[in-house]
Amino acid sequence: MQNPDAIVIGAGIVGASSALSLTNAGLKVLVIDRGAVSSGTTGAGEGNILVSDKDPGPELTLALRSRDLWFEMQEDVGDSFELEAKGGVVVARHDDGPLMKLAAEQSEHGVTTEKLNQSSLHELEPFLHPEFHSGVFYPQDAQCQPMLAAAQVIRTVIARGGAFVSQAKVTRIIVENSAVAGIETTQGIFKAPIVINATGTWAGELAQMAGSDLPIAPRKGFILVTEPTGKYVFHKVYDSDYVTNVASSDADLQTSTVVEGTRSGTILIGASRERIGFDGSMNYEILRRLAAQATSLFPVLRDVQLLRAYRGFRPYAPDHLPVIGEDSKVRGLWHSAGHEGAGIGLAPGSAALITDAILGRQSFMDGSPFSPHRFAKVSV
Amino acid sequence: MSEPVSFTFNGAVVKCEQGQSIAAAVINTGTLTLRTTRFGEEPRSIFCGIGICFDCVVVIDGVANQRSCLIAAKPGMKVESSS
Amino acid sequence: MIIVIGAGPAGLAAAEAAARNGSDVALIDSASRLGGQYWRHRSTVTGFHSNRADELFAKVRSAQSITYISEASVWSIEREGELIRVNYLQGGAESSLTAEKLILATGAYDRSLPFPGWDQPGSMTPGAAQALLKGHGVLAGQKVVVAGTGPFLLPVATGLAQAGANVVGLYEAHSPLRWLLSPKALLLNISKFGELIYYARLLRQYSLTPQFGRVVSRFDQGRVTISRVNSSFALKDMKSENVEADVVAVGWGFLPDLTLGGIAGCKQRVDSDGTAVFAVDANQLSSQPNIWIAGEGTGIGGADLSLLEGEIAGLVASGQNVSSRLRRKRGAKQVFADALKRSYPIGDGWRSWSQKSTTICRCEEVTLGDIEESVVELGAEDSRTAKLFTRAGMGLCQGRVCSRNVAEIVAGLTKCSVTDEECVASSNRPIAAPIALGLLGDGKK
Repeated sequence: MQNPDAIVIGAGIVGASSALSLTNAGLKVLVIDRGAVSSGTTGAGEGNILVSDKDPGPELTLALRSRDLWFEMQEDVGDSFELEAKGGVVVARHDDGPLMKLAAEQSEHGVTTEKLNQSSLHELEPFLHPEFHSGVFYPQDAQCQPMLAAAQVIRTVIARGGAFVSQAKVTRIIVENSAVAGIETTQGIFKAPIVINATGTWAGELAQMAGSDLPIAPRKGFILVTEPTGKYVFHKVYDSDYVTNVASSDADLQTSTVVEGTRSGTILIGASRERIGFDGSMNYEILRRLAAQATSLFPVLRDVQLLRAYRGFRPYAPDHLPVIGEDSKVRGLWHSAGHEGAGIGLAPGSAALITDAILGRQSFMDGSPFSPHRFAKVSV
Repeated sequence: MSEPVSFTFNGAVVKCEQGQSIAAAVINTGTLTLRTTRFGEEPRSIFCGIGICFDCVVVIDGVANQRSCLIAAKPGMKVESSS
Repeated sequence: MIIVIGAGPAGLAAAEAAARNGSDVALIDSASRLGGQYWRHRSTVTGFHSNRADELFAKVRSAQSITYISEASVWSIEREGELIRVNYLQGGAESSLTAEKLILATGAYDRSLPFPGWDQPGSMTPGAAQALLKGHGVLAGQKVVVAGTGPFLLPVATGLAQAGANVVGLYEAHSPLRWLLSPKALLLNISKFGELIYYARLLRQYSLTPQFGRVVSRFDQGRVTISRVNSSFALKDMKSENVEADVVAVGWGFLPDLTLGGIAGCKQRVDSDGTAVFAVDANQLSSQPNIWIAGEGTGIGGADLSLLEGEIAGLVASGQNVSSRLRRKRGAKQVFADALKRSYPIGDGWRSWSQKSTTICRCEEVTLGDIEESVVELGAEDSRTAKLFTRAGMGLCQGRVCSRNVAEIVAGLTKCSVTDEECVASSNRPIAAPIALGLLGDGKK
């Protein structure tokens, strides 16, 4: 493609959504990826589109809008990618005080919540261990198949005049007069005045090429997948420890319990978080912990067999907020990365923020909390 | 000679010798179809015969996805194509 | 102690050699009898040169220092410092064994290629027909067609005939003239002529005439379509014949099961036939310290080679020297194994046998049309992405049956070749056998 208006680096869900948003705003967009579609974290995700796990604040505001944009995107793309407003059920394993307090705060900020007692909880999830007596239902939580979604979104971008070049590794970001002029890749040079860094766990590496510092690091997680089995889990179910873990920075391993069924009949079990760099090795002890946690929630799962397990790396920034906005040094270079475990849910919302910012129009929220400027080193 | 083994497959009684697998015993009665697939409801039977392909899976005493080509029939087992 | 996983020819030879040289051995196998696939039996092994099986069984059974753990399914392997822990399922419970040394001899399984109707009841591998017959005394069907490629078709067809089946056809896709490409292999392995004569006699006895250059191109409710193919396996002309049979046993050589070695971190390489196998040195040592690999896992070569590799692994693991005579014998068998690959290659024309509606991934019921769509419409460029989009390879068998076929189909559609990384990655499975979540969780520290 000659002279695109914008180049998006990264064909995961964040890059794909950004490309679609810009295309719909009238720009000619070139998407490039060093691999194929969904070859990074998007290919290892569960497909979570959650509002339930976020404290009131900018991320929740982004999540709420982004969730609605997912359904608009589905209408627009005209394909299902298995998007489902499944709803989330959060159970309190011990004291339900913190969960109820969080739910009350969330409901004041646009989240629909429904308190659950022993009987209403077990009506929603009949196979949940009888000892659970309290929880919260979040009807807005949704689910999709993220790899399909990214692929179908990219297909739509191409159909609307965009282009996608795969197997193109960026070797240089071309900067002229502190403004981005294009990129050099293993598949040639592409010039554009706007470049978007949507490379997830590699966003820091890419930013370095332009002389910028983006402290995005990988946070490893495992997912267990069972054999196809009976319908035992009706929503995304997790214990309230999940929320605490997401927000913490502890280097040590943290696990929480997340269980959900899928269209194909398998059950997915998570979640673990480890700061262990890009070490992709299997850890059976973590798998055992996740299994034990899941069966403590759903005893019926004791007899269901684990079929496979896989791992992915969530890209996160030290303050656990995504990085969305223009680079502090290089004009025209925009970042949309570091979404940690919420990349799928936050993708279309991030795309809207970035598109509005690029076009200089007011957006649905003030995006400055996400700005990469927060990492700019103050020069003395 | 050891005692013959008797079990049920989808309610019908199947007799076999000690040590024979469930799949072998069922196939020996002239029935090839062991189950139907979960999406297309297509009939399936033994395919690799050595526990690699999982096409021969049946429900044994309520437990699903058991490879009938590997498991020896035991007296009184309740074997079904699906639960 | 040495743990040997797999009690087929390679594992038995390794265990016997190690025990003979003073080592304690734990021999773990998933079946209820010794012998693996090659020497399947109920009471005794039958077939060409079968007495060597009985001799080896006797040695292994009588060896005091060999502990035989049967009906045990290894689901994972972990390192604990210098030690290796093997976790297995047996009798509905989880157990584990720890040792300093490990020998993997997990063998191989039939390679299958898709064609319309290959997923119908009655369509199976020659290994399945063999397992039913030799392992359980059951004939898979009354009228049987045996087809595919490779010398394994001979014992299967003759074994079925001996047991009373009506083998209505024996179809070998390749021409026997391909053996002329490997004169050295034939000269170094004169004993193989004896085996050939053994089978030739049986074929004549049961009036079985192998036909060459033919494949089963369709199976539909008892009707088998036989088509002619060229040397690349592409269908040659519109002429085909139909044969009635209730069973079609079709096999295309073998694929080693690389799951456990992969879990243990053993490096793989791509063999001359495009099959991913483990890389081992002249002593059968893998890339991992104290882990040896013997048998089909180092390259498909048959029972003779497996026995020799197993013996060498067992000797080396026990700290013994390997005689040059033993090495030469293994060398001769490796030459023969290479000749097998040259004589029975899998031509990529097989891709033309399938229609859009033909199942490619049996477990998840993914068709050729689904895979084509994932490439053409959704931009899948390799088998991993095609798998993510279609679910091919994500089912119960975790890609053991379909992943190589999916990779080759995708490569054909994208006009690229399957990369070595792709070939190796397809057998990356952290869970070697399904394990109940209850058992898994109960085992946590």
